[in-house]
Amino acid sequence: MPHRLLFLLILPLCLTAQNLKDFEKKVTEFTLTNGFHFIVCERHDAPVVSFHALVNAGSVDDPGGMSSTAHMFEHMIGKGTTAIGSKNWPEEKKALAAVEEAYDRLDAERFKGLHADLEKVKQLQASLREAIATADSFVDPNAYIRVIEENGGAGFNAATSPDTTTYFYSLPSNRLEVWFLLQSEWFRQPVFREFYKERDVVREERRMRVESDPNGKLQELAMATAFMAHPYRNLIGWASDIENLRAKNEDLFFRKYYRPSNIYIAIVGDVEPAQAKHLAEKYYSSIPDGPPPPPVITVEPEQSGEKRAVLDADAQPLVMIAYHRPSQLDKDDPVFDVISAILSSGRTGLFYKELVRDKKVSIEADTNATEPGGKYPNLFLMFSAPAPNHTVEENEQAIYSIVENLKNHKVDDETMRRIKTKIRAGLIHQLNSNSGLASQLTFYASQYGNWRTMFTGIDDIDKVTADDVQRVMKLYFGSSNRTVAYLKGATK
Amino acid sequence: MKRLAGIAVCSLFAVLLPAQTAPIRKPVETPTPDYRDLKFPPLREVKIPDIPTFTLANGIKLYLLENHELPLVGGFALVHTGSLFDPPSKVGLAEIMGSVMRTGGTKSKTGDQIDEEVENIAASVESGVSPSNGKVSFGCLRENTTEILNIFKDVLTAPEFRQEKIDLVKNRMRGEIARRNDDASGIAGREFLRRVYGPNSPYGQQTEYADLDNIQRADLVDFYKRFYFPANTVIAIQGDFDSADMKSKIENLFADWKVQQPPAPPLPKVTAKPAPGVFVADKSDVTQTFFNVGHLAGDLRDKNYPALEVMSDILGGGFSSRLFKKVRTQLGYAYNISSDWEANFDYPGVFLVSGSTKSSTTIETIQAIEQEIENIRTSEVTDDELKTAKDTALNSFVFNFDSPGKTLGRVVTYDYYGYPKDFIFQYQKAVSAVTKEDVLRVAKEYLRPKDLTIVAVGNTKEFDKPLNTLGTVTAIDLTIPEPKKPEIPVNAETIANGKALLARSQRSVGGIDKLAMIRDATEIADVDLQAGGTTIKARQTNMSLFPNQFRQLQQMPFGLVTVYSDGTAGWIIGPQGQMPMAPQVIDQVRMEIFRNFFSILLSDRDPNRTVVAATATKVEISDRDGHSVIMEMDLDGRPIKQQYLMSGSKVEETYSDWRDVNGIKMPFHIAIQQAGQKFADVTVREWKLNTGLKPEELGKRP
Repeated sequence: MPHRLLFLLILPLCLTAQNLKDFEKKVTEFTLTNGFHFIVCERHDAPVVSFHALVNAGSVDDPGGMSSTAHMFEHMIGKGTTAIGSKNWPEEKKALAAVEEAYDRLDAERFKGLHADLEKVKQLQASLREAIATADSFVDPNAYIRVIEENGGAGFNAATSPDTTTYFYSLPSNRLEVWFLLQSEWFRQPVFREFYKERDVVREERRMRVESDPNGKLQELAMATAFMAHPYRNLIGWASDIENLRAKNEDLFFRKYYRPSNIYIAIVGDVEPAQAKHLAEKYYSSIPDGPPPPPVITVEPEQSGEKRAVLDADAQPLVMIAYHRPSQLDKDDPVFDVISAILSSGRTGLFYKELVRDKKVSIEADTNATEPGGKYPNLFLMFSAPAPNHTVEENEQAIYSIVENLKNHKVDDETMRRIKTKIRAGLIHQLNSNSGLASQLTFYASQYGNWRTMFTGIDDIDKVTADDVQRVMKLYFGSSNRTVAYLKGATK
Repeated sequence: MKRLAGIAVCSLFAVLLPAQTAPIRKPVETPTPDYRDLKFPPLREVKIPDIPTFTLANGIKLYLLENHELPLVGGFALVHTGSLFDPPSKVGLAEIMGSVMRTGGTKSKTGDQIDEEVENIAASVESGVSPSNGKVSFGCLRENTTEILNIFKDVLTAPEFRQEKIDLVKNRMRGEIARRNDDASGIAGREFLRRVYGPNSPYGQQTEYADLDNIQRADLVDFYKRFYFPANTVIAIQGDFDSADMKSKIENLFADWKVQQPPAPPLPKVTAKPAPGVFVADKSDVTQTFFNVGHLAGDLRDKNYPALEVMSDILGGGFSSRLFKKVRTQLGYAYNISSDWEANFDYPGVFLVSGSTKSSTTIETIQAIEQEIENIRTSEVTDDELKTAKDTALNSFVFNFDSPGKTLGRVVTYDYYGYPKDFIFQYQKAVSAVTKEDVLRVAKEYLRPKDLTIVAVGNTKEFDKPLNTLGTVTAIDLTIPEPKKPEIPVNAETIANGKALLARSQRSVGGIDKLAMIRDATEIADVDLQAGGTTIKARQTNMSLFPNQFRQLQQMPFGLVTVYSDGTAGWIIGPQGQMPMAPQVIDQVRMEIFRNFFSILLSDRDPNRTVVAATATKVEISDRDGHSVIMEMDLDGRPIKQQYLMSGSKVEETYSDWRDVNGIKMPFHIAIQQAGQKFADVTVREWKLNTGLKPEELGKRP
């Protein structure tokens, strides 16, 4: 411990240590007995507060044959609770149960396959529709979100990533209690009303993000090719899975993954920690905990040779190249961040300088060190949009020559210094926004076990040497470890 | 090491829990309150920071806002300009200019040098142009303020627009043009704007390959010079500094920026007529239709804007809106659906309902939208809807002030567009006074179902009903117009080679120093003109006062003809009297002035001219008015001939009989061919240089 402090003092720019010390004074952390993790950070300049609730489960945890379960659940935040969103909860509860029963009866007949009675199936489908219509009649549409908006909520949204599901918005600070009431009630008992309509909406989202977008299609292909076994292979859910999701399975997912000890909450802004703690106890402490959910069991086998996948589409060429890499908890995680910055940070990144500026084979090239998520072994992703009259092949070769160069030659000191300075400065910028801070705090708390990693992670970046970069390049950026997915392009 | 310790703590805690069979509950078991019963203390008053404002001696208006929370400094310069001022055949000029202002470097540093300097200290300096403003912004850590302000000032006041970066951004934009049909939602958006504002309006324009070919460095320089001057610029800075200190820093830094220009012109007027109907672009590779439905809207000065905002919110402004509830929640047809009454500060925006739905629910969805527009025009909204919309706007009002940067941005923006300082508070007051009657009234008046422009991009074969169910259908042609292949590319390489070739030419006739000293030239020559099989002999005296005054006395068999032009207009006086100069004649004269022997050789000194190497012995010289000649030279650089177009036919002039005149080699014989036929033979009797010609003499009528 003392050794560490000494090391930090030697650094020419002590911003990190200084800021963590100052910053810590503003942070109050507490965990309820049932496991809910709270991080409260005070910024009293403006009378507003941002809330960020992170559930440490995401699309990677979707059960087999039910991809998009986690995403579907995220959509349920808009549907409300037993108290908000219903015109008559006791009746609605019965009606919702009747919907599931009707669906079960339908499936029982359909699953007979060749022996199914088609006439009966038709009738059961009609019954299901009726049951849904009955249940819908008890709905006060979008009531939950209306309450948030009426109370001055801003920036309301939710997001499902492979590793996490997050729910966030901001309120005027005098309405702090509204968030505690609403969010806790939803974590206590979400209601899957209008589920099958919302399933259509999620299906539309897939159409919008993937099926109608060449970039989205290519990304889906790249992930599914790079990963043979691990559920990172699927990002947004397969169409067929989405179309067959069931409300009863969402409930199972909720009971398994939405446990208090699996949920991290940050409250940042004009908030008194004592009051936050009091409200947390009042609203959250009676929610029962459960056993920690299991991690994903499947391990992606080592890739034994280069994989290539082609997307035939009437669009301009694109190329993605992915290399397998270890999880975010690996000791080399910071090295991958440094490599990403060397390649694609600003106009001094090698991709911009060589691919865009000098060779002019690309109009835009970028990298992502951790794709699609970091909890499990994942991918270092590279991307390029070829310039007019230039090919995917040219871009690939240009990228590989940069990769080989980084394996064979040490990066110079000026580059290393610049990247570390940028990353350190980036941290300061992140302290400038309530919602940004709230997001970061929950991310580091849940993924690295401690929100302070937001700051101390910078120390780990500082320790990365040019030798580390070379070593990691040699270890992971070989041709048999890579997957290439490309859109060959139109005849336009 | 610390990380492992962190994980150990977490697992330690988690290990404890399963040891207990039931989680410990707090003894308090009160039922959850109803949200309607919650009581809130009054909202703490927002501190609106003080923003000292100064006008510097050179006219720059400066706004400063101290913010000591973090050791950061950032700001921007805002300039009255915009891409709305792009000339019609050069759409994209402002965008390129705005980008290359930064990437092309300054007089003292290249763009690459600035990139490294700035990124080494994790700072940023960026430049761009929007429809109605230009912006140069910067950000840095406090300790680097002086350095970054210097670069910021340099970029704003002394951009160099180096050719290679112009080439680079054009390359990127060519790539973007090629890709623009890959994204269906982008197609819907831009086609909508084109229809609503009118295809020839700057408000709906898009860059084509031909525009990129037309835009040259001289255009960028001109655009920059016209708009970037102190009196047209405001600078706003916020961060960890002392205001008095920053004020004097900026004053000193910009003290030498003294250029003046006339005030920026007003924005082009929006003269669009309604464009009702259905405009469809077929795209077979998508499973969703992207639609934009709407028409022209207004601006923020409209006294009904607050009521319109409330109306638009209720119609489609969020999760509680009618469109969201109907099309997404009730029908499940869309993930994306919203409406917006877009009012800009300075020009009319658009009323727009946009979203996407699967192909087979396209028509039904658009019909549902039309129905909702009709509903809100025919009956009052409910008390609940009104309350929700107003509460939402008023209770979230505080977020307009949640960061000092927002307040600074607002003060600058209101000033820039000439809005009252308390505009946002006027708006707040007006919103709280909106009634159901108001909402109905503005919906009736401002929403015009008959004028709806409907743009749909999707797989028409899969649509649920025929499109003409919705109205008259026009197909959108998505074909990207092919670029005219430029004969000779204009890029850094051809420009460099052209410069070298021209320099060789200059040397071969006596050198640039002597050439640059020529202020006027007089040529007295005998001309044999071939006209319809006969030869006409004439005696010409051609007087040129550079750069663009020209007088010719031509003694013809039938009498003396005198021609004069100042490069823009002119007259012809012959035996019959004065004749006005017809446009074709003016063009001819201007071409003669352009391709004058000396003018051509000095082309590299004229910022309005582009000189590129066509081959190892030919240069193409052109100007911004469309004049162009190819000059061919021998291996020593001596000009052999000029080739150009005159009234549509190819003309070739060949030089010979070189003699020395005051140290400059001049041709004393010129053979002129037109369309391959001999046209004229010019034998020069005398060349007189620098005789002190005066404009009054040249322009004097005989």
